[in-house]
Amino acid sequence: MPIFARKHKTPLGIYVHVPFCRSKCTYCDFYSVCDNSLQDQYIDAVCTHIREAGEAASLHIVDTIYFGGGTPSLLGGEGLSLILSAIRKSFDVSDDAEITFEANPDSITDRLLRRLRSEGFNRVSLGIQTDNDEQLSQLGRPHDYQQAVDAVKKIRRHGFKNLSVDLMYGLPGQSIQNWIHALANISKLNPEHISCYGLKIEPGTPLCKQASALEIPDDDLQADMYLSAISFLADKGYRQYEISNFCKKGNVSRHNLKYWQGGEYLGFGPNASSDFGGQRFTFIRDLRGYIAGIKENGQILREVEDVPFRERAGEYIMMGLRTVYGLDPKEYEKKYMLPFGPLEEKLEVFRSRKLAVRTFDGRWHLTGEGFLLSNDIITDLLLIQDKCKPIAKRKK
Amino acid sequence: MTDMSKIRNFSIIAHIDHGKSTLADRLLEACNAVESRQMEQQMLDSMDLERERGITIKATAATLKYKADDGEVYSLNLIDTPGHVDFNYEVSRSLAACEGAVLVVDASQGVEAQTLANTYLAIDAGLEVLPVINKIDLPAARPAEVKSEVEDIIGIPAQDAPEISAKNGINIHDVLEMIVRDVPAPTGDRSAPLQALIFDSQYDPYRGVIVYTRVKAGTVKAGMDIRMMATGAAYKVVEVGTMSPMGLIPADALGAGEVGYITASIKTVADTQVGDTVTTVEGGATEPLPGYRPVQPMVFSGVYPADGAKYQDLREALEKLKLNDASMSYELESSIALGFGFRCGFLGLLHMEIIQERLEREYNLDLITTAPNVVYRVTKNTGEVIMVANPLDYPDPMEIQLAEEPFVKLNLIAPQEYVGNMMELAQQRRGEFKDMVYLDANRVELHYEMPLNEIIYDFFDALKSRTRGYGSLDYELIGYRPSRLVKLDILLNGDIVDALSFILFADNAYPRARKICEKLKENIPRAQFEIPVQAAIGGKIIARETIKALRKDVLAKCYGGDITRKKKLLEKQKEGKKRMRTFGTVAVPSEAFMAVLKLDED
Repeated sequence: MPIFARKHKTPLGIYVHVPFCRSKCTYCDFYSVCDNSLQDQYIDAVCTHIREAGEAASLHIVDTIYFGGGTPSLLGGEGLSLILSAIRKSFDVSDDAEITFEANPDSITDRLLRRLRSEGFNRVSLGIQTDNDEQLSQLGRPHDYQQAVDAVKKIRRHGFKNLSVDLMYGLPGQSIQNWIHALANISKLNPEHISCYGLKIEPGTPLCKQASALEIPDDDLQADMYLSAISFLADKGYRQYEISNFCKKGNVSRHNLKYWQGGEYLGFGPNASSDFGGQRFTFIRDLRGYIAGIKENGQILREVEDVPFRERAGEYIMMGLRTVYGLDPKEYEKKYMLPFGPLEEKLEVFRSRKLAVRTFDGRWHLTGEGFLLSNDIITDLLLIQDKCKPIAKRKK
Repeated sequence: MTDMSKIRNFSIIAHIDHGKSTLADRLLEACNAVESRQMEQQMLDSMDLERERGITIKATAATLKYKADDGEVYSLNLIDTPGHVDFNYEVSRSLAACEGAVLVVDASQGVEAQTLANTYLAIDAGLEVLPVINKIDLPAARPAEVKSEVEDIIGIPAQDAPEISAKNGINIHDVLEMIVRDVPAPTGDRSAPLQALIFDSQYDPYRGVIVYTRVKAGTVKAGMDIRMMATGAAYKVVEVGTMSPMGLIPADALGAGEVGYITASIKTVADTQVGDTVTTVEGGATEPLPGYRPVQPMVFSGVYPADGAKYQDLREALEKLKLNDASMSYELESSIALGFGFRCGFLGLLHMEIIQERLEREYNLDLITTAPNVVYRVTKNTGEVIMVANPLDYPDPMEIQLAEEPFVKLNLIAPQEYVGNMMELAQQRRGEFKDMVYLDANRVELHYEMPLNEIIYDFFDALKSRTRGYGSLDYELIGYRPSRLVKLDILLNGDIVDALSFILFADNAYPRARKICEKLKENIPRAQFEIPVQAAIGGKIIARETIKALRKDVLAKCYGGDITRKKKLLEKQKEGKKRMRTFGTVAVPSEAFMAVLKLDED
């Protein structure tokens, strides 16, 4: 019998990193391997890990679960279901939990969808990226656009009511017309949620090596693409709620919101990160090492960070300004005992530059132009925050 | 005191990188002055900066005891010299303390610009110049040719020059024997009134100033009352002795012909200027030794802490540096843009860079340096004459009756094929051609009169690049001449940044203004708004560039695993912003100030 009633439990997100891919995309620096022979051992290890961790979370209720990758759909219905069952057995999972899996169009099958739907998966994040086959092959994507369209149909047929689609802009050779074309095509597929990511050339990726020979849109063009996406999608009924995320009413990614709003989450699998019990930690970026570590009770931690209270105040700004929920002065002062006034003064300057707005209830969030400059804006605010002294407690 | 016939006083001179310091190390080693295991490379260059740049900044000296093949023990006094035109005067004083100079020539590179310039300094000082061919173990070595070069170009016999490798210790013995054989023993009357030449001095926190000296006549010992003939400062000698690379070795007395040190509880090196003559208070010499020149800073620049709160630290650092460097001057100044700082005077641009680097390195300061300038002389309408070492003090054009700038006599030496290039350069820099002299069949010396201001920027570098490193220069101040001068102001986002203002020749204003605006545009990061960069003379805009507004600085993805990484990224960005100075609304990194200083590099 739980000591606490459910309503007193702290919400918890669970992230499972599935580090397998059919092939590596040329721009990607996430951790994944193309050798599928370790899948069974991986599933065993993750399940063991989940069972061990469950004991530490008896005061938490899991309301979001996210299978990311890599390509989770490659594990197949059986594999994903095994892991989800382990989570259900070891954690208290709420009935209305958001349960997402990422998939590539080429690995979507009726069999997979049927199985996952019956296990309680209710959200699909589909990596489509663009509607242009030439660009898809340049990115090393293992599918074409028609496969993506077919995948969406199948997903709908199996009753998934919450579909998210990933898109990319700033692709080599992409024009602003190409980009609007892609947005128009995707909006016709009518997903509930769209993520738009600017292409970032990550060091060490194959794309990085070719970068000098490619016509990659410069920052100014990327900025134009970004702003045009915001207005195009708004017209189609998609509201921007985070720097790169848009959704129809009521369809925010509840799991991802945890990252931006300081929620707790536990990650499983190699290179997965957690923020739990005041500590942030990441497991090793090595599949074999992770499996062996779980089996032999060895070291699987790569990085552990005790996040001091004061730093949380900085994270509140850094993560909070990624969303349209923004910063709430009252919440900020109450939670971190720091004055909001000096920040507000600077935010007024940003407002005069049309980079920030103040909502009717006193919160501050960035505009589209402001999101584009968010690193610069956040560092300005953090510099001010560094100089702030805690508010003295008032005597009653 | 050492018998004069057993003393040899010598310097080592060379073109940069020909192996001067390495040879010095080998000589010290060969005389067991330093045990090799204690030996750090290039023992005489004691400053980190000297070791890194491979140049000698301050002169140093050491006495070596050498048992020669003739069975006698000799005192070899090695006096190291700095090697840059900024320090020509210091070099000449060091050479004046010697009877001979070992000329190191690289066996593959042959005779080069500084080989010549330094050799002529040595010959002018009446020294016996003894060539040594170094780096003979390199594959490209051509010792026989290089020897002929030395004979043809410099005109000194070189057929018997030792062929050595300082790096690998080959034939070092030959060099020592040559020094004993060919450097003349010093002369001088040890009972005559004292005349001791100061060739360097150094501040020691425990003993006060240590004066490095060469006794030319008479004898100096502890307890004597001495007087510096130029500065007039008088002290009682506490200790005399000789220098070894491992430290100071006290002696009873120093007599004519000897090189050593004097301590006398002297508080500041300003009292012991290089080139001054030490004599006794009673029965002293009537005449000082020839060649003294008071040091005078030629180049001024504002030095500010990048972080305004570090002003006190900078002040303390300058006070300490000044104890050791009489040629630098500083006084408080303040700028609207940069806050409190100092207007510092330097011998030249290298000297300025060195001081700046020492401040940053030894005192851990981040600095902003403003454009260097010379001292202008302005006669106002009221008849008042002012000396302007700071552009901020430059009067309104309406108040000026006459503006003058310092001119120098400039000597340029290079092989004749570069005459055209040198003339072009000198002309660009407002040089007035005087005459041209053939030093020999190949080498030419050009004489110009030129504003000092044109030399202090990057003249030396420009000369080197136009003469493939063979050109050398020397200059001396010849006084002030009327000139058409203007003050150029720089505006960022409409506000004048006073620290960027400077005075220049009117005809140079337009091209320079354009270049400065371009450089600032390159070096000031894009901000959240558009920034106009303008250059103006007395309110009239003469050049403009625009720094476009920053459009994109965003991390597209930030999920659970990205937070730590993103925090580090923002932390770095924060540090970058902290290092910038804000002028009105514009943040300017210190690199932008540096870029303005190096305008002529491309």
